[in-house]
Amino acid sequence: MDRRDFIKNLAFGGVVLRCGPSLLAQAKPNPDLAMVTGESPAAITREALAALGGMKRFIAKGDKVMIKPNIGWDRTPELAATTNPEVVKTLVEISFEAGAKEVTVMDNTINQAQRCYARSGIAEAAKSAGAKVPFVNEYRLKKMALKGEWLKEWEVFTDFVEADKLINVPIAKHHSLSRLTIGMKNWLGAIGGARNQLHQKIDEAMVDLAAFFKPQLTVLDAYRILTRNGPQGGRTSDIKLQKTVVASIDPVAAETVAAGFFEIRPEELAYLGIAQKRGLGQTNLEKLTIEKRAV
Amino acid sequence: MKKERSKKYRALQSLRVVSQAAFFALFFYLLFKTHFTGQDYISRVEVFFHFDPLLAIATAIASRVLFASFILAAVTLVVTLVAGRFVCGWVCPLGSVHQFFSFVFKKAKLLKPRKEEKSAGSLAWKYYILIVVLVGSIFTVDLVGIADPLSFLYRSFVTGVIPWFARAGAAFIGLLYGLKLSSAGDATAQFFGTLSLNQTFQQGFFLSLLFLGAVLLNISKERFWCRYLCPAGALLGLFSRWNVAKVRVDMDKCIKCNLCTLHCQTQANPYPNEQWRSSECVYCYTCASICPTKAVYFPVKGTPEKIASVNLSRRRLIFTSALAVIAAPFFKITPAGKRAAAKLIRPPGALPEPKFLQKCVKCGECMKACPTNALQPALDEAGPEGIWTPVLKPRIGYCEYYCSLCTQVCPSGAIKELTIEEKVRVKIGSAWVNKDRCIPYALGRPCIVCEEHCPTSPKAIKFVMVETKLPDGTTATQKAPVIDLDLCIGCGVCENKCPVMDDPAIYCTSVGEDRSERNRLLLETIQPAGITEEPKDPYR
Repeated sequence: MDRRDFIKNLAFGGVVLRCGPSLLAQAKPNPDLAMVTGESPAAITREALAALGGMKRFIAKGDKVMIKPNIGWDRTPELAATTNPEVVKTLVEISFEAGAKEVTVMDNTINQAQRCYARSGIAEAAKSAGAKVPFVNEYRLKKMALKGEWLKEWEVFTDFVEADKLINVPIAKHHSLSRLTIGMKNWLGAIGGARNQLHQKIDEAMVDLAAFFKPQLTVLDAYRILTRNGPQGGRTSDIKLQKTVVASIDPVAAETVAAGFFEIRPEELAYLGIAQKRGLGQTNLEKLTIEKRAV
Repeated sequence: MKKERSKKYRALQSLRVVSQAAFFALFFYLLFKTHFTGQDYISRVEVFFHFDPLLAIATAIASRVLFASFILAAVTLVVTLVAGRFVCGWVCPLGSVHQFFSFVFKKAKLLKPRKEEKSAGSLAWKYYILIVVLVGSIFTVDLVGIADPLSFLYRSFVTGVIPWFARAGAAFIGLLYGLKLSSAGDATAQFFGTLSLNQTFQQGFFLSLLFLGAVLLNISKERFWCRYLCPAGALLGLFSRWNVAKVRVDMDKCIKCNLCTLHCQTQANPYPNEQWRSSECVYCYTCASICPTKAVYFPVKGTPEKIASVNLSRRRLIFTSALAVIAAPFFKITPAGKRAAAKLIRPPGALPEPKFLQKCVKCGECMKACPTNALQPALDEAGPEGIWTPVLKPRIGYCEYYCSLCTQVCPSGAIKELTIEEKVRVKIGSAWVNKDRCIPYALGRPCIVCEEHCPTSPKAIKFVMVETKLPDGTTATQKAPVIDLDLCIGCGVCENKCPVMDDPAIYCTSVGEDRSERNRLLLETIQPAGITEEPKDPYR
């Protein structure tokens, strides 16, 4: 399948699903992946979760939920280096609506944490919805057995391990080494230690981390995507308005869909191949039930 | 005679303590507020300095221009002219520190007030220090920052006391976790996180010892610094001779117990009254409130009169001035002025080096504000007079792209205030790749962590495909970094994040810095990318 076919399939699939018999919706099993486009980041996030069968599918009453956005850089939301704050806020809201007892939003940032938390808009947005937004705390770092193929053990922030439910909320961005940095690379923000050494085998590291953290849900922010100068960007001309949120139980599939936004085929991304081989998910979207909507 | 202490002066004494506590709290509050608190711009946290006439005068002499904010120092001078050294006794936060520890040492019986007046001659030291500082300023030798009380206090807190506090806090958090009180540990850790305290400083240990030494001197004499060392106090002393609030001893009531003089905080000698030193009195009202017979009082008199003051020998004055004149050129025997130092990366907005040294008061405000702990007190990087001026050390921290806090908090204009839009265009140095150590070049493995962190758009670090011969004879091809010096601003994040920890394979030096006309590199270089402009774009 070449790129053109892939995109065609995506588009075709979208049309089929959109015009599909909505009467059967009740009886239908929940989809593996939902993709919603629209003008409002909050509305498409809410709709994506509804399309996936509702947050109650993932969160039980009394759960402690950890939401892991990308807050890595000292950048404002319009530069698309960090997850859209509206997306994060909406997820916090829906988590509480689904019965979560406690929702935490955190990330081990690259630039100064105070600046990243504030200027990304995420701290304020998540707090306004009732989430806790703590800074990472080195005392909660623990060397853990990752049992990865490359990373045998690494220092992990226990907050991400101890939560009942883990939701990965990355943003889709260009990256010079791994080509794209989306959900799997987002886990570098859940660990400590000498993260800069992971670049030497970045694809293996990403997959090992994704296999270790195994989120219940991936909600991919592709409202604005960063098409060059990643992963920080810096000019609004570096971004493209995609106005899409992808929610999926399959992190590999979510990443595959996002690659399409950059006109990159999944087989061009080494880490996706490794991830599929490891059984983390599916790059062949035809094997999944996908729900597409527009708001 | 009925023994009764004056209620009025006891109340005034309490009021003075309240005032000292309030101003110290204000100092502390402003200092702790000197960091990123969620806004790009912070209000005038450095305002204390602007009321310091010594800094105003010395930097004005050295740089031949008065920095406008220092106009507030006139308030201090007028208050002192009219009412004496109230500021020393009631306001100065360093004075409060010394007075507090004098009080503690007295209670601990470490400091015992003695009757002898032998040390009166030593009161003159501070005047000689003042002369050395001012003569130094005339010859543009920046000495005021070393001796000024506010500079000393801020520098000591920024590089010593606050890092100590942060590290003690970390130890405390560790203890909480050790005791399985993890929720208390979490809360404390988050509290410290919001304070964003810088806790790594070169010379931090030494600068802390200096402060500790200054505090311990109070065991020898009450308010030792204020009595013998403080050049700002000396300056105010010169202005206070004609003030209207003079101490008087009512000889009808006086029982000659000498308590007032014994407990005088600054050896101003209220008794015998004709030997009272107007220039030394800081109006702490200890004498008037300790007097058992209400004999000591402070009447307001409108007419100036001749008052005994510290005996400054003319011979010594001339000697000190001559000494300072002779010493000044010694500070210039340094290659610092001859050739730019590679490792002397100044904060963005710093004036050209000679001007910078004339204005910098070594207070450490910029080092407190820096979000990454990058700004460090210089040791020998900037020559002898540049000691404790801020220098950016990329291995400790880097210049955060969208931050201009250091430029906003500089009290003396040594760092020009910049908006964020202006700041991102300022080039403070240039990055260089050491290909012998760079992972893709030398080891043939992928890395380009530097490129990922480069904050400009387009990035100043690009990559080329490089072939590397491996030890087994095969060849590896990897993306390796190259620097586009037209775009590099020298922020140092590449050096800071380079995984080659001990001696980074990419590093920044000062060459190419905007502020210098001599330390330039590319004459035809374009402006750094900035925020609004869309420069030439290699991706199109």
